[in-house]
Amino acid sequence: MSSHEYLVEMRGIVKRFPGVLANDHVDFDLKRGEVHALLGENGAGKTTLMNILYGLYRADEGEIYIRGKKVKIRSPKDAIKLGIGMVHQNFRLIPTHTVIENIVLGLKEVGFILNSKKLEQEIKELASSYGWRIDPSAKVWQLSAGEKQQVELLRALYRRAEILILDEPTSVLTPQETRALFNAIRRMAEEGKGVIFITHKLDEVMKVSDRVTVMRKGRVVVTKNTSDTNPAELANYMVGRPVIFALQRKPMPPGKEVLRLRDVYAMSDKGVLALKGINLRIRKNEILGVAGVAGNGQIELAEVITGLRKVIKGKILINNVDATNKSPREIMELGVAYIPPENLRWGLVANLRVVDNLFLKAYRYPPYSNKVMINWKKIYDTADKLIERFEIVTPSKFTRTRALSGGNLQRLVLARELSGIIGGGVPDLIVAAYPTKGLDVAATEFVRKTLLRYREMGSGILLISEDLEEIFMLSDRIGVIFDGRIVGEFKAEEADIERIGLLMAGAKVEAA
Amino acid sequence: MARYSFLGITVERRMTYSRTASILTTIIAIGLAFAAVAGILTAMRLDTYRAFGVILAVFITPRLLLQAILRGLPIILASLGLAIAFKMNFWNIGAEGQIYWGMIAATGVVLAHAYYGYLPDLLVLPTMLIASFIAGGVWCLIPAILKAKLNVNEILTTLMMNYIAALFVDYLIYGPWRDPHGYGFPLSIPFPSYAKLTFVAGNPSYTGLVLSIILAAIVYVIFRFTKLGFELRVIGENLDAARYAGINIPRVLMLGALLSGGLAGLGGLSIVSGIIGRLRPRASPGYGYTAIIVAWLAALNPWLIIPAGIFFGGLLVAGESLQATLKIPNAAVQILQGIIFLFIILGEFLKRYKISFGGGRGVR
Repeated sequence: MSSHEYLVEMRGIVKRFPGVLANDHVDFDLKRGEVHALLGENGAGKTTLMNILYGLYRADEGEIYIRGKKVKIRSPKDAIKLGIGMVHQNFRLIPTHTVIENIVLGLKEVGFILNSKKLEQEIKELASSYGWRIDPSAKVWQLSAGEKQQVELLRALYRRAEILILDEPTSVLTPQETRALFNAIRRMAEEGKGVIFITHKLDEVMKVSDRVTVMRKGRVVVTKNTSDTNPAELANYMVGRPVIFALQRKPMPPGKEVLRLRDVYAMSDKGVLALKGINLRIRKNEILGVAGVAGNGQIELAEVITGLRKVIKGKILINNVDATNKSPREIMELGVAYIPPENLRWGLVANLRVVDNLFLKAYRYPPYSNKVMINWKKIYDTADKLIERFEIVTPSKFTRTRALSGGNLQRLVLARELSGIIGGGVPDLIVAAYPTKGLDVAATEFVRKTLLRYREMGSGILLISEDLEEIFMLSDRIGVIFDGRIVGEFKAEEADIERIGLLMAGAKVEAA
Repeated sequence: MARYSFLGITVERRMTYSRTASILTTIIAIGLAFAAVAGILTAMRLDTYRAFGVILAVFITPRLLLQAILRGLPIILASLGLAIAFKMNFWNIGAEGQIYWGMIAATGVVLAHAYYGYLPDLLVLPTMLIASFIAGGVWCLIPAILKAKLNVNEILTTLMMNYIAALFVDYLIYGPWRDPHGYGFPLSIPFPSYAKLTFVAGNPSYTGLVLSIILAAIVYVIFRFTKLGFELRVIGENLDAARYAGINIPRVLMLGALLSGGLAGLGGLSIVSGIIGRLRPRASPGYGYTAIIVAWLAALNPWLIIPAGIFFGGLLVAGESLQATLKIPNAAVQILQGIIFLFIILGEFLKRYKISFGGGRGVR
């Protein structure tokens, strides 16, 4: 292999999708031995650019040079041959196969019959050189998210990849796992490999990268040495305006209890126990943040409270009324608002108009309808006000909902759930599941501010999030969920991120 | 982004499509269907020009057009019902069976009146309307309950129940309901005039047209202005969101199915007291299936269902005259129907997806 300084040079890359210019004459390069962060909001074009490099898309214009040589990358196969490896946001492993099988899958030189002993040894050595302890003969489904990611990385490294693309790799990791990943990344750079690190988190850029390229709306805004910049400046590049980081959470005495769960058990969709005796309570003017790695019962928790999932044992009290296994509508009428995860799947009807989605729940109450007929005039008038009040950017209230951006979809959900069109007042309880996941900076800020404002107006809030920063910023109390149980609860002032990270990973409490 | 690629052909989901494009596709689909049928007729060495002349004549000769309207009536009524079911993604393939139950109920009322005479003559037709609506509705309610309570696939149940209904009519007409003075033919007694659909201008075609317009208006109002209509749409578009919004899904499902089957039941009534004037076996030549095509051709729009239904009614009339004048088998018209449906489905697909050759690579 040549020792050309630039592993990757992408010049003038253009990629068009129907109606969008995803990459607009993008220049990007990667040096040997560096970690290059690719920073930008969702939809800025980072993943598109990397999918082009990995051969998943073809650029409409532009040239790619690998180690100084002009290349055409037509498929991931070509990319792998050139020493490019990519770890996607969603893992592409076969859960029922072993680690070894997943790593060698598709490799010609391995042959039809696996020489497991030899492979096991090789993989073990490779893993330990990055500080990973992984059992090569374990089945992938038995592994934690962090370990699965290591398998993905090993798969690329085993194929002698020199150019590694990591797409938002920390979104599924605990703080400890993140740190381990960063160490491994630094180690890869020391070995002379190049790592492209796609992210929208500023602190990660500062921690791990040598250089950073910021993208916005399909264009490169700037490329800088990380040591020459700071988070505030980067945020400014990313959003195109200065961003306020800290939100003010006024100290407030909590009011009366609005939610109590007593020893609640529930099944997941797959029919295994997902909640194993949850106890928690929330009072007015209080935010309880639930931290945890995805898939430890968070969604099920939100769903049992909102009536979408059956409780098989235990009790749920809302405003001191028994709400166990009540219907979603009955629970809504007890004053519960629900901001669901993945709103387009669970909480919005993409093909209906914005106004229909605003009134997806309230349409059935007067003055918006009588027993049979809907009063559209009343609904249309109110919709205009809601769109203004919640700053929903839409061509009109009659626009198909699918045309809205992620941030505006979430504003729409907030308007529907919180504006008081259902029941008339401030909700007593707000269940917010991953309310800022995938949103741009401005919308994230809006959602967080809104939650804090409703806390001040008297709502009790259950905030489920993977984003520890968000949990720390908003919560009065923090609970950690692991394997269907609340394994620790702290007052926000006394909470320690290290300890919470350990609990999220399933460590026993006394160990901390 | 939904994008699939196979053998160099890439299929990509369109973000939007215009109304004009949508209407244009439907017209092109029908045009292509006729072209395909022309090809088949030519291959059979039949006179394609004359055949199409006969078909065209149906729609420009007033007498035949009235025939077309009458034959379209059961299709229109059943199709209005199907529009309701399809709006909520309840795949009611059972309009045919619901039509048969409408016929049974209507005939039952006539027979009861003829033998026991407990009603004033004037009230017989209204009673028939109500009875056939309920009978068709209940026949559709059964699969809806099975789906709501036990999650049984309605496509299978509604389809299979068609055969039960049709065979039950056979049993009745070969058995207890056979006309004792009918020389042994499997026919019911002929309906007396007060049991016939002629309350507008004494003509079943005009009556049918008025009935169609009234019922289309009702369905339109349900879709546009009622809570039920809103709920139907939400359920059809996103079941998870409907659950989330607290919509009582089983209730809407059952109510929608009742209306859907009820309208098909009225379609059944329109056959026995509008077209034939009595009950006989196989009284429906598949109106309930044609109604499925019509509902899609009209994009579930109740107003468009009327012209679409008349169009297919006209094809039935045309089929009979083709048989009489050109000795073209009636099946040719059924082939035409099938091909139109095929092209409509293809058009639907082209509306929603863009197809390109070569170009991009496959992406999951």
